[in-house]
Amino acid sequence: MRQRNLKHIKTPKILTNVLSISGISKHYGKIHAVNDLSLEVQPGQVFGILGPNGSGKTTTLSIVLELVRADSGTFQWFGEHPGKESRKRIGSVIESPNFFPYLTAALNLKIVADIKEMDYDDIDRVLKVTGLYERRNTRFRTFSFGMKQRLAVASALLGNPEVLILDEPTNGLDPQGIAHIREIILQVASQGTTIIIASHLLDEVQKVCSHVAVLNKGTKLFDGKVSEVLSVSDCFELSASDPVALEKWLHTHTDIESVEKKNGIFQAFFKARITPADINNGCFRDGITLTHLSERKRSLEQHFLELLEEKNDQTP
Amino acid sequence: MIRLLKIEFKKIMTYKVFWILIGLYFLFLILGILMAEFMINSIVNDMNRHLPIPIPHVTIYFFPWIWQNITYFATFRYVLIFPAIIIIILITNEFTYRTIRQNVINGLNKSEILISKLLLIVLISLVITVLLFFGILVLGFSHTANPDAGMIFDKISFIPGFFFTMLTFLIFAFFFGFLIRNTGLSIALFTLYVFIVEPIVYYFLKSPLVFKNGISTYLPVNSILRITEYPAIPVLKQIMGVNLQDSVTAGSCLIALLYAALMVGIVWWIMAKKDL
Repeated sequence: MRQRNLKHIKTPKILTNVLSISGISKHYGKIHAVNDLSLEVQPGQVFGILGPNGSGKTTTLSIVLELVRADSGTFQWFGEHPGKESRKRIGSVIESPNFFPYLTAALNLKIVADIKEMDYDDIDRVLKVTGLYERRNTRFRTFSFGMKQRLAVASALLGNPEVLILDEPTNGLDPQGIAHIREIILQVASQGTTIIIASHLLDEVQKVCSHVAVLNKGTKLFDGKVSEVLSVSDCFELSASDPVALEKWLHTHTDIESVEKKNGIFQAFFKARITPADINNGCFRDGITLTHLSERKRSLEQHFLELLEEKNDQTP
Repeated sequence: MIRLLKIEFKKIMTYKVFWILIGLYFLFLILGILMAEFMINSIVNDMNRHLPIPIPHVTIYFFPWIWQNITYFATFRYVLIFPAIIIIILITNEFTYRTIRQNVINGLNKSEILISKLLLIVLISLVITVLLFFGILVLGFSHTANPDAGMIFDKISFIPGFFFTMLTFLIFAFFFGFLIRNTGLSIALFTLYVFIVEPIVYYFLKSPLVFKNGISTYLPVNSILRITEYPAIPVLKQIMGVNLQDSVTAGSCLIALLYAALMVGIVWWIMAKKDL
């Protein structure tokens, strides 16, 4: 009885994860497409799943959208067991745009609306947002690739879903098309819609995402805020009037990762978040006068490649 | 259910291939029905040249035998293949254009996808049956002098018989479509099975060397087509001495329906197991 009553108590939305994946694995023969993956996506996040081709991004999305069954592990949408009702609250574009080529854009969207059990009022709006309104009565077959991709986005936007899932949304588009899609994503994100984007483009994740999970060979290497990923392992360039003392000071620092010396300038990498002020104060206290101090943030790309390399070193 | 059918209607309403094939089907069906009597009589004319006592000309369009005759000619493989190909195309299109994946992503279950195709099959079979019913009525009235109600509807059991033939044959096509998933290959293999493989197996099993009992008649397509097995043509009765088929039997429908249930079961099981 008690459990039944609990169901009716609405938990505040902010507390429930939009998507939580725990320990899902999927293998095709000997290849581990997804390996013990756990993720949490919270409301309002623009969550990037970043990884090279074949890292398990699409497989992960196919699993949470119930196209593919995981070998093990579970996932929940909106804190509930997944099912067709939760899928109706999600707008998704997976891989290529999938529509009937012999039906018009509007008719294809009507089919989507019927499946999602919503009325057709929103169709004109999403066609306008994606710039396809004038072509609504043209058959899908006649569309250019960019238009097909935009129709896929339009169908995903239908009925203002709580979550938008986009798999490589700008793949194969020209720069203008990429800009258009990104503009739409940012506009939707600004309304508070949770967005999950799978991409192999760092630049894309950097530009639109608030959070990121990095995948390689089906394994999660890292996840967190994009801004944190950017500033973790900061690199500083320093020099001092007494280089020997500075080198000693750097090596004894508790958070130091590595120190390199190039043309009399030290490049110091730190494991934890360190500010230039921390270094300046520390050196000053130990009687070292810095003659040069500059912070160099490593880009996500560098960080990404390093993460991939580290992982590759570990595997024989 | 209504919602699933509404979705299916949207998929075919403006699909030219569907309407062309439907048109071709009715063309072949009507031509077949109208030419049947003429063809039989030309055979009778041929036979009469060698017979001392000529066989009278055949008329097949009068009540109540028209029900049996027309449904017999309307369930020839060559005619039934058209709606079967339509069903295969409608099913395999979902795989070709990956719309089946998109439908699941948008909120349909795999079982709903199977149900919507089965509903479409039931509806198409029903519509064709109803059209045939009215066609036979018109044709029968124009060929029967002073028909009374008892005479008109005496052999009406061939109408539900036709419906079950159509339904189970289309479910056989459904089976090929969902299992093979590729349009060209499904049509090729289905046609090959219906016209070549099963007839060969049939005649092999029928030969007295193999089995003496009627196991050959229990092959799937044969079971389906046996619901309306023989026409009611006087000359046939004279030659064979007996009336070969009086009515559609529940047993023959049941065998075909069992095959259909088995095929739906296999498709259901494979769809549940296999990723899309």
